[in-house]
Amino acid sequence: MDYKYKNVMVVDDNQIDLYIAEMVMLTTRFAEKVICVGSAREALEYLRPLDESSDGLPTLIFLDINMPEMTGFDFLEEYRRLPDNIRKKCIIMMLTTSLDEQDRKQAEDNEFVKRFLNKPLDRDKLAQLM
Amino acid sequence: MVSQQTYQSLHDAFLLQVKLKSDRLMNYFLAGFFLCGLMLALFYDTWLVAVGIGSLSLIAYYSTKLLLPDTDAYQYMVSGVFGLFMAQFIYQMHGLFEMHFIAFIGSAILITYQNWKLQIPLAALVIVHHASFGYLQYIGYDKVYFTQLDYMTLQTFIIHGILATIVFFICGLWAYQMKLLNERQIQQTYDMGRYQEEQLQRKALLRSNEDLKKSNKELDSFVYSVSHDLRAPLSSMLGVIGLCEMREMDPFMQKNVSLLKTSVRKLDGFIMDILDYSRNARLDMHLQEIHFDEMLTDIFGNLKFMCTDDQKKVDIRLAVRNGIPFYSDKSRLSIILNNLISNSIRYQNPEVADPFVEIQVEVSETGADILVRDNGIGIAEENQGKVFNMFYRVSNKSAGSGLGLYIVKEAVEKLDGVIRLDSETGKGTQFSIRLPNLAHSRFVKQQPQS
Repeated sequence: MDYKYKNVMVVDDNQIDLYIAEMVMLTTRFAEKVICVGSAREALEYLRPLDESSDGLPTLIFLDINMPEMTGFDFLEEYRRLPDNIRKKCIIMMLTTSLDEQDRKQAEDNEFVKRFLNKPLDRDKLAQLM
Repeated sequence: MVSQQTYQSLHDAFLLQVKLKSDRLMNYFLAGFFLCGLMLALFYDTWLVAVGIGSLSLIAYYSTKLLLPDTDAYQYMVSGVFGLFMAQFIYQMHGLFEMHFIAFIGSAILITYQNWKLQIPLAALVIVHHASFGYLQYIGYDKVYFTQLDYMTLQTFIIHGILATIVFFICGLWAYQMKLLNERQIQQTYDMGRYQEEQLQRKALLRSNEDLKKSNKELDSFVYSVSHDLRAPLSSMLGVIGLCEMREMDPFMQKNVSLLKTSVRKLDGFIMDILDYSRNARLDMHLQEIHFDEMLTDIFGNLKFMCTDDQKKVDIRLAVRNGIPFYSDKSRLSIILNNLISNSIRYQNPEVADPFVEIQVEVSETGADILVRDNGIGIAEENQGKVFNMFYRVSNKSAGSGLGLYIVKEAVEKLDGVIRLDSETGKGTQFSIRLPNLAHSRFVKQQPQS
């Protein structure tokens, strides 16, 4: 059975949520490889040296909002400065516990964000994405 | 801080001040008149009259003042007493013409009370005195000493009378005008005081409004972060439970994990209810056009996984008729519908084969009629009055926080609407809501045409 996506990145400061996302995606064969990073800065450091032909370039990025130091929205600001060819390949989804209307609106208004998902990530939510 | 004064109290206080000041003046004038009488006694040896009439006058005045202190009778008495002194002085000086002027002095003194009527007793006394004494002298009774002339001619008498009348009239007029002037001043003082008071109150209001806004904002961000920090671990737990469920489990573990899931969801629901409650209570109205179809699709999307494992799938029947734009507060309306629909799903009747929830929406120019109807377990009549109470739960089996319908009622009230409950045990429940269309409300934010 094929994997739906080759590389998927999850950005979350909560280790348990990273573990959950990784396990769900691997078990459901949603992703072949899950790149788990614990902060927005780490994610940027991972993405910066890549180009469109890089092996490690994620197709999907699941992004938490509430993170210390650099929030999900801060990440999106920095992400804007990445080269065009990288951004074209990546689809960003917000994955958060936030029920705040403001957060949802801000995410939906962002050009890079395709979806706004509430935690926890589970089989049904992934099925909806496929 | 200006104390709260009524116009009347200010007015009375001022009048009292005028009265006390004038009363004090009267003491000096009366003493002066009495001493003057004694001095005049030197000329024609009229000691008996000076002491007798003079002291009788003073006694009349002070006894009136003592006996009737709360009336202004003593003021009228002093007016009469001035007339008597005039008559006494005229007699003492054996009709010396200038003594007639004493009446004018009295008339002028009386202005201080700012009451034109006080001129009346003086004028009356002068008329009676002049008429009777003038006549007595005219008929040859020479001991009255009304005038130094043999008698007063009619012409003199009339001119005398006209002049006196004019003086009394002018003094009365000044008294009256002083009173008017003072009343205007009192009114101005009063208005000024009130204006200052209002300014202070307005300032205090603005300040407390500002404080409220600030603490509201702080509370808002507090609720936001608390809810996030409380819910984040719960969603992690639900995630881990989900991982467990993806593997084969023996029935014992399966049951335990399912119990765990129920508890975590209940706790999460409780937190969300509290969040809804605080949002509804504090957030400003944010009016926008409501798209019922979209909103209901969203709500059903969120509630899809709500059924517990032993519950049937609830059939959803939608009937939305909205050709007209409907404006209301989206987040509050969403809270209302979410709670009612989730109740319908949660309290479905296990005995019926086809559990359903039906939502009808009909929008008009003036408002929206929303009907949420189900064939669930229903609410017994004796409980129907209580279900909207805070933390009221119909039974121990109720899975919710006891906040849901309370929040619904509060939110409906915020939207200026009414809600009605019809239910029968075992048959089902129907909530009818009428919400006004706030399309023309001043709260509507002008949205750019897109």
